[in-house]
Amino acid sequence: MTKKSLATAALTLLALVGMSMSAMAETVVKIGNVEPLSGPSASVGQQGKNAREMAVEEINAAGGIKSLGGAKLELIYADSKSDPNVGVTETERLINTDKVNIVTGCWNSGVTYPATAVAERYGVPFVVPVSVRDTITERGFKYVFRIAAKDSWWTRDQFTFLKDMKDEFGTELKTVAFVYENGDWGTGFAAQWKTLAEEAGYEIVLDEPYPSAATDLTPVVTKIRRAKPDVLLLTSNAADAVLITNTLADYKVSPKVILGSGGGHADPTFISGTSDNSKFMFDIVEWETDVNKPGAKETNDKYKAKYGSNLTGEAVDAYVAMYVIADALERAGSLEPAKIRDALATTDLKTGPAAIVAYDSIKFDATGQNENAALAIVQINDLGQGLERITVWPKTSRRADYTPVFPMPQK
Amino acid sequence: MDLIFLLQDVINGILMGSIYGLVALGLTLVFGVLKIINFAHGSFLMVGMYVAYWIVAYTGLHPYLALFLVAPIMYFFGYQMQQWLIRPIFVAERDVREPITVIIVTTGVWYVLDNLALLLFGPDYRALSPNPLKGEMIEIGEILISTPKLFGFIITVLTAAGLYWFLLKTRMGRAIRATSLDRDAASLMGISQWKIFNVAFGIGTAIAGIAAVVLVPVYNVYPTVGVPFDVKSFVIVVLGGLGSIPGALLGGVIIGLIESIGPNFMTSTWTEAIVYGLFLLVLFFKPSGLFGQKYDW
Repeated sequence: MTKKSLATAALTLLALVGMSMSAMAETVVKIGNVEPLSGPSASVGQQGKNAREMAVEEINAAGGIKSLGGAKLELIYADSKSDPNVGVTETERLINTDKVNIVTGCWNSGVTYPATAVAERYGVPFVVPVSVRDTITERGFKYVFRIAAKDSWWTRDQFTFLKDMKDEFGTELKTVAFVYENGDWGTGFAAQWKTLAEEAGYEIVLDEPYPSAATDLTPVVTKIRRAKPDVLLLTSNAADAVLITNTLADYKVSPKVILGSGGGHADPTFISGTSDNSKFMFDIVEWETDVNKPGAKETNDKYKAKYGSNLTGEAVDAYVAMYVIADALERAGSLEPAKIRDALATTDLKTGPAAIVAYDSIKFDATGQNENAALAIVQINDLGQGLERITVWPKTSRRADYTPVFPMPQK
Repeated sequence: MDLIFLLQDVINGILMGSIYGLVALGLTLVFGVLKIINFAHGSFLMVGMYVAYWIVAYTGLHPYLALFLVAPIMYFFGYQMQQWLIRPIFVAERDVREPITVIIVTTGVWYVLDNLALLLFGPDYRALSPNPLKGEMIEIGEILISTPKLFGFIITVLTAAGLYWFLLKTRMGRAIRATSLDRDAASLMGISQWKIFNVAFGIGTAIAGIAAVVLVPVYNVYPTVGVPFDVKSFVIVVLGGLGSIPGALLGGVIIGLIESIGPNFMTSTWTEAIVYGLFLLVLFFKPSGLFGQKYDW
């Protein structure tokens, strides 16, 4: 054997090893995603799709799932059209035809509820980034994991916020008023507020549902004015949120805290429609671009450059879901559904890109609910660059160097 | 309940109600003359609000001075709308006294205008700026009165009085009344029915413009802003009597008072139910409304 042929043989061997390695690297993990990509919720569906793509690109670029020989993640989409029936058949199709390893989705609680039941029946892990209906994780399922907070946690966190702020600033808060749109959402929130307020020992001085399409909310505002609550809790759609805020200012009604519930208060046009009248108001959100977490700003900048809009709470949940899946796959080291399921169940993700969430770690309880999922509270204030939403709660996520104005200044 | 609270609510009810009445005034005039329900009336209000908004934004005029631009612009807009969109339907259905198709056309105009506004201006809630009336309140002890709403009340009274005078005393006004009483007889007397229709529609739209100017300092402008006012106007017009000017104003004030005083005894969700309940009762027991003519010529 000549030196040359030896070298050739060595090279061939190397090439073979390399080929077999790359052959291994070509194993893919299929992630099926049921999302509303058309119909009324299409814009949220698209945000979820963008966020998933960005996360998967990052994960694959960083070498994929190393315990599976650098396996790459592959996203397969199905359009639910926000329709539960379509969601169910599409989930069946993803599992049976596309043979996906994991399913995620579906944003609309109404779709997620039956679709997760399908996955449970087949024993395929289903990660729900965000669908708020409480009962999704309350059916004793083994294969369903939810990252976002439950519906009832929004109201819970509103009251925790009040308590924390009371302690931090030493402000007396005794009376509370509920003012909410008279639809399903508002009345649902109000029922939970009532229980929470009673538990926390607040005196309820006003409980007022109003029609969202009202042309004049002065009567509601005069009722608030006469009730003189320390805390005003609001659940409003877009136009009425603006109208109430402006009318409150006109009548110089100034409770110590005005706290919204997202919805109309989180609408991008809320601040422009109310201008200074919304200053110092509080609102609850899933995530805000200024959340004081390492990597949050960079991730948002990257997303904005790529897709032209800021990350929303929903998009963050979808983004984080991909990292939760990657983390579980890494620890499972197998594509066997039961192993992936067990790995998901023991998730405790504190570091890496998923740590941009407003809370400290992603960890599922026995029902599959992310037990740490929390919401953030923002204050609207002007720090010299116009009015903006500033994260103030939980304190660990508070924007650096910002001291909340609490209680709100009296007018 | 304290008397002072009641007084406050009554004042607010009358002020807000008069503004509802002003919106309904244009609707009732168009009905009185053309005998058609103009479903696009709320959209005309929306157009008026955008016109007022842009005039103030570009010229910095005081909103109430912008009135002298908005009203003629809206008159022209309504006049042309009738001339080119509604008149052809009347002509095509000249044998039908109350052509249903006109109602369908006005509904179409409503959708087109609202969506056009959405397309052109986006769904944003626009607040008038500069707005010298923003948050202006007159304080009398415990009682707070919104200054722009008080002006709205005054403008409503002046507009209604002006319209009354115009219909009673001017030649054109008499021609309009003649046409509204009997369009064929009026035509035989040498009154051009089409001209009268155009003018009446123009005036009705101009009144929507006046209402828009009244609303713009206290209300945000957005593409579907007309819809809740539109619905309210129909109730008011039926309540007060279709085609009746004092009926529109009084109907407006009644609705305003219910909305304002009602919430002292119940949640504001229920006041809406009372308003529509009253609407149904009027339809059952006095279909011609409080001031309407019992017999339709």
